[in-house]
Amino acid sequence: MAIGYYFIVSALLFSIGLIGVLLRRNAIVLFMCIELMLNSVNLTLAAAARMWGGPDGQVFVFFVIVVAAAEAVVGLALIVNLYFRRGTLDVDVPQLLRW
Amino acid sequence: MMLLAQAAEAGAGNTAEVLLFWVFAVLALGSALALITMRNIVHAALMLVLNFLSIAGLYLTLESAFLSIIQVLVYAGAIMVLFLFVIMLLGVDNDDLLTSEPTARVLAVAGGALLAGALLFAFVGPATSPASVCGPDAPAAAPDQFDCRGLAEAYGEDDPSGVAFVGRTMFTRYTYAFELSALLLTVATIGAVILARRQDLAPEDEDEVDGVPGAPADGDDAAALARAGLPATERAEGGEHHAEVGDPEPEDHEPSGSPDDHERRG
Repeated sequence: MAIGYYFIVSALLFSIGLIGVLLRRNAIVLFMCIELMLNSVNLTLAAAARMWGGPDGQVFVFFVIVVAAAEAVVGLALIVNLYFRRGTLDVDVPQLLRW
Repeated sequence: MMLLAQAAEAGAGNTAEVLLFWVFAVLALGSALALITMRNIVHAALMLVLNFLSIAGLYLTLESAFLSIIQVLVYAGAIMVLFLFVIMLLGVDNDDLLTSEPTARVLAVAGGALLAGALLFAFVGPATSPASVCGPDAPAAAPDQFDCRGLAEAYGEDDPSGVAFVGRTMFTRYTYAFELSALLLTVATIGAVILARRQDLAPEDEDEVDGVPGAPADGDDAAALARAGLPATERAEGGEHHAEVGDPEPEDHEPSGSPDDHERRG
């Protein structure tokens, strides 16, 4: 299998995740799309590690997974707090960050 | 699983790897498309689980068994359970929260398609030729083509899965980053506990929760969150503690004892 097919799959996954982030307004679905994009980047790193024949890409994937786990914990706590303060998960409604 | 293991061990360009790649690639792309189009959030989360599992399969075909196992353990196991738990806690099953304006939808799809097109334009030519097939038996790559070396040579004979190879690198060259990631996980745990706690909760709100479990009002839900965040043993423990302190009336296990409970916790 040529290594480029893995890059193509991860590029398509990243684009699908980006479309999901732009298309959906539910905060949880938004967060899941961000996880999807992180996974596609991980797939790129693993494919590049195989392409170069070295261990560094796999170690980077491990660290990305660690950071993604921490991010999921904190982000979900934020989403829960947002829901109980605002009563909705619609990210267009709060507008707290608008200037 | 035997087939997967064979594909992980086998060299590049064999038919098992090609077959497994297409199966997992189609599964990953299809579940990703289903994720962004599903209305039901629980179904979307399950689609994400399927996506994570198929990416774990792609790691296996990439000769990265360690990453595959980590992916299943951390993503499909821990993170998705956290997602489903939050969905269950908030009680939001389905809603039609697509972007409201049609122009925004068209722009979103156009932007994503533009990004995908640009990335495909970069990869399709030089990276998908037969010279980019991993392994020593692939034809020599031209200077503008990607040459895939493969990991079998780096892993060596006595470490076909590559776990020891990755582990050696992780604990020699990246030791400092590894320690920092431990610190990061600690900080994230403490931060999540602090974020999930509500210190501005009035004590009477806590009292009402036991009577109305699924009340839609904001305050009650918030108190229910605080309840769910703290396990039930905490409350029982609080009651026992209250009794142990020397209160002569041990029948004070009712929810009216919660203000003291709240003070103790705050």
